[in-house]
Amino acid sequence: MKKRKAKLRKRVIIAAVFAVILVLIALFSGVLAPNDPYATNSSLIRQAPSAAYLFGTDNLGRCVLSRVLIGARTTIASTFFLVAVSFLIGITIGMLCGFYGGIVDDILMRIADLMLAFPQMVVAIAVAGILGGGLGGAMIALGITMWTSFARLARSHTLSIRNEPYITAARLQGKSGPQIMLTHIMPNILEPVLINALTQIGTTMIGISGLSFLGLGVVAPQAEWGSMISEARAYIQIAPWAVLFPAAATVITIVVFNYLGDAVMEYRKAE
Amino acid sequence: MKILSGRDLNKEYTSRDRKVRPLQHVDFDLYQAEILGIVGESGSGKSTLLKVISGIEKPDSGRLYHQEKEYTGSGPEKTGRFLQMVFQDAYGSFDPKMNMEKSLKEGTGSDRKEIIRVIGEVGLSEELLSRRPRHLSGGQCQRMSIARALLSHADVLLCDEITSALDVTTQAQVIKLLMEIRDAENVSIILVSHDLALVSMICDRIMVMKDGIVVEEGKTEDVITRPSDEYTRKLLNSIIAV
Repeated sequence: MKKRKAKLRKRVIIAAVFAVILVLIALFSGVLAPNDPYATNSSLIRQAPSAAYLFGTDNLGRCVLSRVLIGARTTIASTFFLVAVSFLIGITIGMLCGFYGGIVDDILMRIADLMLAFPQMVVAIAVAGILGGGLGGAMIALGITMWTSFARLARSHTLSIRNEPYITAARLQGKSGPQIMLTHIMPNILEPVLINALTQIGTTMIGISGLSFLGLGVVAPQAEWGSMISEARAYIQIAPWAVLFPAAATVITIVVFNYLGDAVMEYRKAE
Repeated sequence: MKILSGRDLNKEYTSRDRKVRPLQHVDFDLYQAEILGIVGESGSGKSTLLKVISGIEKPDSGRLYHQEKEYTGSGPEKTGRFLQMVFQDAYGSFDPKMNMEKSLKEGTGSDRKEIIRVIGEVGLSEELLSRRPRHLSGGQCQRMSIARALLSHADVLLCDEITSALDVTTQAQVIKLLMEIRDAENVSIILVSHDLALVSMICDRIMVMKDGIVVEEGKTEDVITRPSDEYTRKLLNSIIAV
């Protein structure tokens, strides 16, 4: 058992190291980018990878490596922001529903059911289409359904602890509902909901890149992996590197964060 | 002086399509510095009565008074000003994420000096304050629970099967502590237990409950030596048989 736990712990650490490296790359992409990611050059159109341009250039002669690095900032930052906002909204709604119950719970959970009745991407495409594209629109479109998983999880965990003696003791100490939710319920349900947030990072990244690929997310010339793949697929046979490198970056990032989420979840189960 | 009283308390709920009446026309009085024992087998309504008294559950009908002032319908946020509970599950009565000092401070608003004084009164040392509940023994945790109630300066302690999860030696220590607290702090105590032997040792008066009804009530000596109800006699016989 101890051996298994040590093995799982090692997995968590390895995944976390890779995730931190990716986040650091995104944070310092401005410094790491060897060229201006937005500078076009008609004499360097669709150059194959070389020492000067490690990932080659795209249809407008822009450095693909610099655009992948700057795109990391857009993709990872927007994913983290969206997961964080959905997490906050979801955990607040979940705690309110679980703690107070009654009509508040009925109304909010039926809204959540309604959101879950449609596939997330279908709703996101429809909403992003209505909002007319842009990164903000894509994030709102994905966020509309995303909070529900956090809310459901937070609600079920709140329900399981709301009748614990320490909650009753807090009520007898004169604590109000919001005080109890903040000081006793949130710290005790935070761990499983945070792990859920970790597992949502990969899905959200697919969502944002997917909407950008469809032209409903980030708009040109802003660098974002999904929109880079979408732009470059028109000339994939002539310059496959312009598609391959942003696609590889997307896959690696999604795999790392999904692996981290799974590793943390398994480690927690083993505890 | 009457500290707490209840008149004609009734409670009913439906469980698995069956109506259950854990409280039926229950009356009780609790006097200052008195220990009132409530005994009965599982499902007799003792714990429901405590929940109703503390405001955790509302009675369907009936009235509750604290020092002659009615408080029926008040939630635990208000009743906590004059009563506190000591729970059967001592570990569960403390937030597992908080250490003892934070739990006691957060709950009562007391400063560290006051907390150290009170935990000293219940026989605990200062070093335990940095520990989380799972790092205390059952007896230590129950003492912490009693300390929390004392720090709240409550007139009344409601003790729900507080010794049932403890070993015999710790049970005796906790019971001794309750008696000392009653004498030193002048608090009144309602002690709910299914253990008539234990209750008869420390309580001034005993209330026997069966199926939500108070079948017998009186001074401990009278109830033990001259029980008027058949059910009380059965409970007493079961102790003798053991």
